[in-house]
Amino acid sequence: MTEQAMRPQFMGARVKRVEDPRLLTGQARFLDDIDVPGMLEVAFVRSPYPAARIMGIDTKAAKAAPGVRAVIAFEDCPVVLWQKDAYEVGQPVLAHGEVRYVGEPVVAIVAENRYVAEDAAELVTVHYEPLEPVLDMYRSIAENPRRVHENASNVFFYKKYTTKGFDEAFPAAAHHLQETFRTTRQTAVTLEPRGTAAMPDPASGRMTVYASTQSPHRIRGDLAELLGWPENQIRVIVPEVGGGFGMKANTYPEDVVVVWAAHQLRKPVKWVSDRTESLLTDVHARDDIHEVEVAFEDDGRIIAIKDHLMADGGAYPAYPFSGAVGETSLASRVLPGPYQIPYIETEIHCTYSNKTPLGAYRGVWGPIASFVQEGIVDRVARAVGRDPAEVRRINMIRPDQFPFRNAAGMVYDPGSYGESMEEALGLIGYDTFRTRQTELRKEGIYRGIGISVFVEPTAMASSEAGSVGYESVFIRVEPTGKVTAAFGLGPTGQGHETTMAQLIADQVGVNVEDVVILHGDTDSAPFGGGTGGSRSGPIGGGAALVAGREMRQRLVKLAAHLLEAAEEDIELGNGQAWVAGVPDRAMTIQQLAEIAYTHVKRIPAGMPIGLELVARYQPERSVSFSNGTHVAEVDVDIRTGMVQVLNYVVVNDCGRLINPLIVEGQIYGGVAQGIGSAFLESLRYDEDGQLTTTSLMDYLLPEATDVPRMMTKHLVTPSAGEGGIKGMGEGSLIGAPAALVNAVSDALEPFGVMVNRLPVTAEDIRQWILA
Amino acid sequence: MKPATFEYRKATTVADVVQWLKDAPDGKVIAGGQSLVPLMNFRLARPSVLIDINGIRALHHVEYDGSTLDLGALIHHQEIADHPEIQKKFPVLTVAARHIGHWAIRNRGTLGGSLAHADPASEWPAAMVALQAEIDVQGSPGVHRVPASEFFLGYYTTVLEPDEMIVGARVPATGASRIGFAEVARRTGDFALAGAFVEDCLDGTGFVTWFGVSDKPQRIAVALPPARETSWREALEQLTLNDVAEDKIALAIEIAERALKHSALVGAAYFGAHAIRGRD
Repeated sequence: MTEQAMRPQFMGARVKRVEDPRLLTGQARFLDDIDVPGMLEVAFVRSPYPAARIMGIDTKAAKAAPGVRAVIAFEDCPVVLWQKDAYEVGQPVLAHGEVRYVGEPVVAIVAENRYVAEDAAELVTVHYEPLEPVLDMYRSIAENPRRVHENASNVFFYKKYTTKGFDEAFPAAAHHLQETFRTTRQTAVTLEPRGTAAMPDPASGRMTVYASTQSPHRIRGDLAELLGWPENQIRVIVPEVGGGFGMKANTYPEDVVVVWAAHQLRKPVKWVSDRTESLLTDVHARDDIHEVEVAFEDDGRIIAIKDHLMADGGAYPAYPFSGAVGETSLASRVLPGPYQIPYIETEIHCTYSNKTPLGAYRGVWGPIASFVQEGIVDRVARAVGRDPAEVRRINMIRPDQFPFRNAAGMVYDPGSYGESMEEALGLIGYDTFRTRQTELRKEGIYRGIGISVFVEPTAMASSEAGSVGYESVFIRVEPTGKVTAAFGLGPTGQGHETTMAQLIADQVGVNVEDVVILHGDTDSAPFGGGTGGSRSGPIGGGAALVAGREMRQRLVKLAAHLLEAAEEDIELGNGQAWVAGVPDRAMTIQQLAEIAYTHVKRIPAGMPIGLELVARYQPERSVSFSNGTHVAEVDVDIRTGMVQVLNYVVVNDCGRLINPLIVEGQIYGGVAQGIGSAFLESLRYDEDGQLTTTSLMDYLLPEATDVPRMMTKHLVTPSAGEGGIKGMGEGSLIGAPAALVNAVSDALEPFGVMVNRLPVTAEDIRQWILA
Repeated sequence: MKPATFEYRKATTVADVVQWLKDAPDGKVIAGGQSLVPLMNFRLARPSVLIDINGIRALHHVEYDGSTLDLGALIHHQEIADHPEIQKKFPVLTVAARHIGHWAIRNRGTLGGSLAHADPASEWPAAMVALQAEIDVQGSPGVHRVPASEFFLGYYTTVLEPDEMIVGARVPATGASRIGFAEVARRTGDFALAGAFVEDCLDGTGFVTWFGVSDKPQRIAVALPPARETSWREALEQLTLNDVAEDKIALAIEIAERALKHSALVGAAYFGAHAIRGRD
């Protein structure tokens, strides 16, 4: 049996996604496709001010408008998204007395349809008394120009960490350099925006909530707690979700208002965000400053890093996961990346401002930490006059050093750090690149290569998707021998219906086509944390393996009894169980299932009737590190400032692969988002606190023509967890921005340029060249 | 993001449109809707009446009589990009058309709509000015011709009266001079950060028409000696520039230089030079 399990048929195979036919033919059902007779729709009146007192709200005209069913203000729905144990303030689901960011919901209009609701929203008059907005992190730390929340300090999270010996080692190094790295506000921009639909069932009294979310059970728990209802009175159903990227891991004010309205009106109610609402109110991310000092030796060995991390958390801690805290606290712990930098000192300030709350966006801390870490290595290389690849080799953690405890106390399980870099450099032809680069420069072509070696913390005990460190699977072999399994995961496009079926099929000994994966319905799925933090593969997949194995054991036991053989002599595969070496003595799984459910007298004593069980899996390690290297080759047009990505290589190590096709899809998408982070995407507030990028005309996303073809290669360093699986949902976006902007720095080396901001725009480049 | 209430009317003749616009001066003509519909969804435009002209077949034509290219207002950008005769006689229009948006936008957006919208960073207004076209405008008294150089007044403003509409444009053949095009945008299909049509008269002089750098396109005479920096700078001084930062000036000059370089290319090279990811 052990030997057989070593030869999985489906795990590791390029199985085509079972989700794709319905998605590609437009048959998938997303939240906005949920429609029932009499369904009402919501439009929100939102704050036009970053900071203002609400002096009065006149809703008379809106209430009188034809087609309007309800006009809701905070007084009607006095719910606050508040984690009392973590923060001093919480966000009221509708503004209460004061607005604190542009786009904050103030009044909800429930009407016959969205058109009527938006017309009525224009009839609401809110009297505001503007306040001076808090917009700058440095000033906010000093409580200037004022506090965002009267009764709470602007600094809502502070932490300092110093490796023992830092104070002596830092000044003793031969060289030092300083840099301030800045990342700019971004947001996930999912293809499908956020949305919620709620419908009370008059017969049972229960509430069915359709939610476009990553964590079905979490949002059910949040709604139950916030509205004071027993959680078994709420059924959350997550339909097809068109992208989440961490942004849909939160419970938002609109979710609560929609459910509350449905309850009050005893009517189905729906709200779907439009793109402007998305850019204004989906959690923002990446609003960070890193003030860095580095101590290093003549040969490029990095001795110590000192980093003051700041993040603008926006007006409220996003519920229940503040991106500012997530981005900084984990960045401070993975800042040394794959390098054996012995000493680190980090100080963190997370501040409130009059901007949209900061939440999670794919990679969270990772893209920021990698950008800083790889920016540091390139600066050190330039300072000591050595090749950036060589300086990486000098500092890289060696294979014999695993498990490696980094300077911030994070313990890395084994990975292929140096190997991934050498493979990637080989694929891009790095050994001849410097010669090519010199020749091209003579022709006025500025070509550069950027290297980014990353570590990716995955399968974490807690993440934005929830605080549970395990995942659960309910598995059932149906009376016909087909397999159904339900997960607590919340896939948003990752292909879990395919990958989880692959894992289970191998264990139970059936074809992948015979396994149906269910998810996203809290009435049928076992309690689970959901999808986020690159946990679904390693933890959800681990649970699938455990559930499949337990079911396999039960089938083997049953088969052994019926075939009158020892359990260890039973083999299972291709939908059959047989006695090893005697293939004639076989039973189909369908026959076994029929007995298990129908002819139950034939079941051996002590074995339960039926073939159903729930299994849970929690990895022993609280985190498992994937790793890899991205190398980007770009041309910079020094006259226009335009950057063209010519070649792109990814060598990725996420342990044992479940499905390389899906892993590569994740990589392509992450690199595309990395191109957005590096060159295009930026949520910009003006000096008055107005967000000026409220449409996709202004918030620029990468398009197909901006994304190059990529070469990918997989290395396999298995994790110690179930199946040797590591997570990999975020690594591609963690690695990409650093590779891309380092390539720009490399191309512009003759001009002394070192990119220190994300994104770097054509305008930045033109101005650097002119300077 | 839903438009405010409006009345929808479908026209079959230009006379209908003119009459309806007279009746409702805040009415709007819709053809491809590529600019108007977003403005309506943002409620920045709130026409009481929306007049759909897509049914007026007479506005959907391309004719070339050997001296003038006659373009109907309803010609889609992609139809200009694909038209074999335009590609032969007015290759600069083919190249310019390829720089407009993406396929979906080019298949819906129309010449007349682009000219009436008068975005100073878009290709058609500058093309019409650069090629000294005339724009046919119909109002209550009938059709009159406005030189493109007089049609555009500034950002999103033209000489069109509320009860007038564009019915077409007439582009004269370019004669012996050569015209080149260049544009730089942040992404393929985006509005130009800077773009230029440069006409080389092959006698050391020429004309430049920029877009994306000022409030409206203007055709400016320039000397084209081997060192041209001063010529371009003097030409830019005649414009109301969006931004006088040195990097923007340098970018406008670079784009004019590239347009001039492209003007000398022939055949496939002429089309190929501009096709580099929409950025050249």
